Amino acid sequence: MKKDDLIRVQNVSKSFRKVLALSDFSLSVSSGAIFSLLGPNGAGKTTLMKILLGLVGSDSGSVTIFDLPVSSPLSRRSVRYLPENVTFPSWATPAILFRQLERIRHESSAEEFRLRCTELECMDLMKRPVGKMSRGQRQRVALSLVTAGKPELVLLDEPSSGLDPGGRILVRNLIRNLASEGATVLINSHLLGEVERVCDTATFISRGRLIAEGELDSLSRKTGLAYIETDNAGRMILYLEAMGYSCRTESKGIVAELEDASAFPHLTRSVLDTGIRFTGINQMRESLEDVFLRIMDKDAERGTDIVS
Amino acid sequence: MRNGGPILFLNSIEQLLRRKIVLTAVIATVAFLGLYWWGVSAASSADLSMGHADADMAVAMLGPEDAALAAILTAGPLAATLVTALIIVIGSTMLPEEIGQGRMPFWLSLPQTRLKVYLSIGLAPLAVSYALSLILFGGIFAITSIYFPFTARNIPFVLVSMLAWLTVMWAAVMLLSLVVKKIASMLIVFFLASVASLFGGLYEIMQLFPGDAPKALETITHTIIYVFPADRGYRGVIYGLIPADAVITENLAFFGVTASVPSIHLVYAFIWSLVLLSIGYWRFRRMDF
Repeated sequence: MKKDDLIRVQNVSKSFRKVLALSDFSLSVSSGAIFSLLGPNGAGKTTLMKILLGLVGSDSGSVTIFDLPVSSPLSRRSVRYLPENVTFPSWATPAILFRQLERIRHESSAEEFRLRCTELECMDLMKRPVGKMSRGQRQRVALSLVTAGKPELVLLDEPSSGLDPGGRILVRNLIRNLASEGATVLINSHLLGEVERVCDTATFISRGRLIAEGELDSLSRKTGLAYIETDNAGRMILYLEAMGYSCRTESKGIVAELEDASAFPHLTRSVLDTGIRFTGINQMRESLEDVFLRIMDKDAERGTDIVS
Repeated sequence: MRNGGPILFLNSIEQLLRRKIVLTAVIATVAFLGLYWWGVSAASSADLSMGHADADMAVAMLGPEDAALAAILTAGPLAATLVTALIIVIGSTMLPEEIGQGRMPFWLSLPQTRLKVYLSIGLAPLAVSYALSLILFGGIFAITSIYFPFTARNIPFVLVSMLAWLTVMWAAVMLLSLVVKKIASMLIVFFLASVASLFGGLYEIMQLFPGDAPKALETITHTIIYVFPADRGYRGVIYGLIPADAVITENLAFFGVTASVPSIHLVYAFIWSLVLLSIGYWRFRRMDF
């Protein structure tokens, strides 16, 4: 645990009757990060998020936000939370909802709200009752309402849920903007592609335990594939295949298969030997989905070992 | 930290006022008062001794206060049924709907204590029911006194009794809505209110004829009066509202409908409600959302 940790979770356990949701779970999140909670369904991600907000009480351990126990409402004064399935009253318009929230939070953030609505392209929905909006529109409005003001910590449970690809891009931009404004963003999502594009660090949870955490780059391994950017892909493929590499064209270059992940320097030399001009060569890394599956498989094996 | 409770309370009131059940209750109230007006105005033009050539002494003694008493005793139970149904329905659905619609985690994630959220949302059904009750009984009083001028016994007592009556049902239904399903909480409180009303009448009769009732019935009646004291409040409303100078009041006491309610019974009803409310909050505080 570092001194500037914004969230500190220490040895937290939580059971729902006989189901263990979190087991001796510890975690720390430093300020300014875009942080994701990843894991299969029922892993304990939402429970952890709710414990952080005091919505669910832990059976043991301690949880603090801004050095305050989560049982204190003061710990939530700069926190914003968007639950996964929130249904605002169907008659309420975003303008009404915002006014109510503004008064409860005792802050004047009309300007920021307008900015968020502009970012999420929902300015034209201000006077439309929530009941007459599509799911995606409701989600964008909810995000605008939640993130308006100057939050220091934003907890988003499945923020891209129900959004079309355009909406997802808007949400990604919003999250980046929040982080650039100094907010720490904690995301719980199953859309790994979205998480990969926006998050700095990830925590993997399985069966209520923390099984891996770190920066996304450090979690993903180098693969047995390399990407070579060249304008002369056809000739390059001929040369490399003659040298024994299996290749295919992809977007503006070639993907070459390596014998193993350590064979990348050898490929680099081979590419140089062809004498064909290329603008870049990189060893490809695992996607977050690959990382997720690898870590979960490993955890499942460990679980099997424990059982056996 | 800013107290956001009043805003949440007003928000809950607004939400309630937009519900069809409340709109229906408002329409029913207006219709009820309209019919009552029509009935009372028609009755006021009738001659009480008409058809009694030998004018019965008892009838001859009746005045407008007695007609007012009869009108109030006829309309009171109907109005009470309407208000009871409303508070039971909206009281049993308020918190469960906020939880079911996923709004409760949202409210609780705001920098407010659970107690403020619980009371702000929970008090809304009581406030709406009290307002509707004031309109109904206030309307009954106003219409009656236009056609049969009378002086009510104790209007401030009516206001306090009304609050005691509604608070008991509200506290019970709020607690039950956190423990059992909505429908079950409605049925349980409706059943309790009905039983309390029945035994409340028996209690009054027993007060007039002490020692005449079987011991077991007396014990059951007293127990029910204390287990669910809603009826005491309702009787307080009627007692405070009826004319002070009606001749037939004493005669009607036999039916257990015009007796006074000791203030201590109302105090007990408030304390009882507070206990139930505290148990409800204890349950709410321990709930995971």
